[in-house]
Amino acid sequence: MLPSGWEVTTAVILAIVSFPVSLVLTRFFMQVNSKRGIVGIDVHKLSKPRIPEMCGAAIPVTLILLSSAYVLTGGGNAITMLAFSLVVGSAAIVGAVDDRLKLRGIYKPLLTLLCGLPIVALGLVYPNQVYNPTLQVPIFGSFHLPIIYPLSIPVAISVTSNTTNMLDPLNGTMAGGVSIISAALLIGVLITGPTPSTVFLYACLLFSALGFFYFNRYPSRAFSGNVGQLSIGAALGALAILGRTEIASIVAMFPQIQNSFFFLSKIKRFTEHRALTAKPTKLLDDGRLASSSDPKAPLTLVRTLLVGRPAKESEVVSTIFALFLISGALALITMILIR
Amino acid sequence: MTRLNQRAVSLQLLVFVTQWGLMIIGFGILAVVVAPLRLQFDPSLGRYFDAAVKAMIALVLSISWLFIWDRQVRLYFYRKREVTAEPA
Repeated sequence: MLPSGWEVTTAVILAIVSFPVSLVLTRFFMQVNSKRGIVGIDVHKLSKPRIPEMCGAAIPVTLILLSSAYVLTGGGNAITMLAFSLVVGSAAIVGAVDDRLKLRGIYKPLLTLLCGLPIVALGLVYPNQVYNPTLQVPIFGSFHLPIIYPLSIPVAISVTSNTTNMLDPLNGTMAGGVSIISAALLIGVLITGPTPSTVFLYACLLFSALGFFYFNRYPSRAFSGNVGQLSIGAALGALAILGRTEIASIVAMFPQIQNSFFFLSKIKRFTEHRALTAKPTKLLDDGRLASSSDPKAPLTLVRTLLVGRPAKESEVVSTIFALFLISGALALITMILIR
Repeated sequence: MTRLNQRAVSLQLLVFVTQWGLMIIGFGILAVVVAPLRLQFDPSLGRYFDAAVKAMIALVLSISWLFIWDRQVRLYFYRKREVTAEPA
């Protein structure tokens, strides 16, 4: 039996529905986007296959549909679900606009700052129902941040959405990584005193990411696009705030943080991967990936894993998943230490 | 079964555990030392001044944390290839 009984159990059971929903929606977007010519080239394959893009839209649609269904069936906190849906929906719109219009690199972080505003606004209207400005710290207790906490919410959403957007260079890395993160945080929430809404949203994120991962895993048959990457990242950020798992979420996202930090510290500006003149990796004639020898290339996580050792794409993806398992385990320990 | 780059995973494990420990210590400093400080000189703006100073301290701590992370990764992964990866 789960810690707080029937409500938590029904939350998990309903969230499992998001797996088939996400699966069907991804399949739908694959067909529609293929017909409309919304495709991307898988540059890490010798055959350079054309893969349907923007199929990650299945995840925000699933999350919003299931959140609405959960509230309509009488479960969870309607304000929490509304805040979550608004954040995910607005980030998906920013991603979709970027996918279609190819915005400059600076616009994504700026526009995703706005995606955090629904949480701040609802928090002002319904104090203590949306977020709690007391940050819980492992071992050392907690501290109250009445001014800094709400101000940092838009920044947090922008950082989580863009850092998730940046760590999807290989087949399945984003969806698989987010699945591992969500699973770790879901277990942590279940162990440390669950609220049904938080359990439902983490389980929903896990199963909808898995539904998309089925088609996105190596070798990919569907690409996420910015619409999927930004909305999933925003979902992680929103859940960290709404579910009070801020520090554990930072720990779980260590691979993304490392990737983004090293990218930005080298390039020193917000830019798109497609705009880079020096690519961090290169494709060898035998189909393996190798670290770039170009001194101007950014030190991305994939490049770091390939230093001095060229590898197959599937091998690098598995290594990245191992890193997510490590960060997920550390996040779980963090949550236990906070309890 | 797909092989893992075990050397990279081991080194990254070391990096993540170190950064995790440093992060907890950093939050501990904020919770135990910085948060209880009272820096309110002007009663009208004191609350905001207090928050701004504490935010600056948190920012300095997080930049230091990222700097150590940067040095650690460069030391473990890019030391031998510094000539090709990082020209002076």
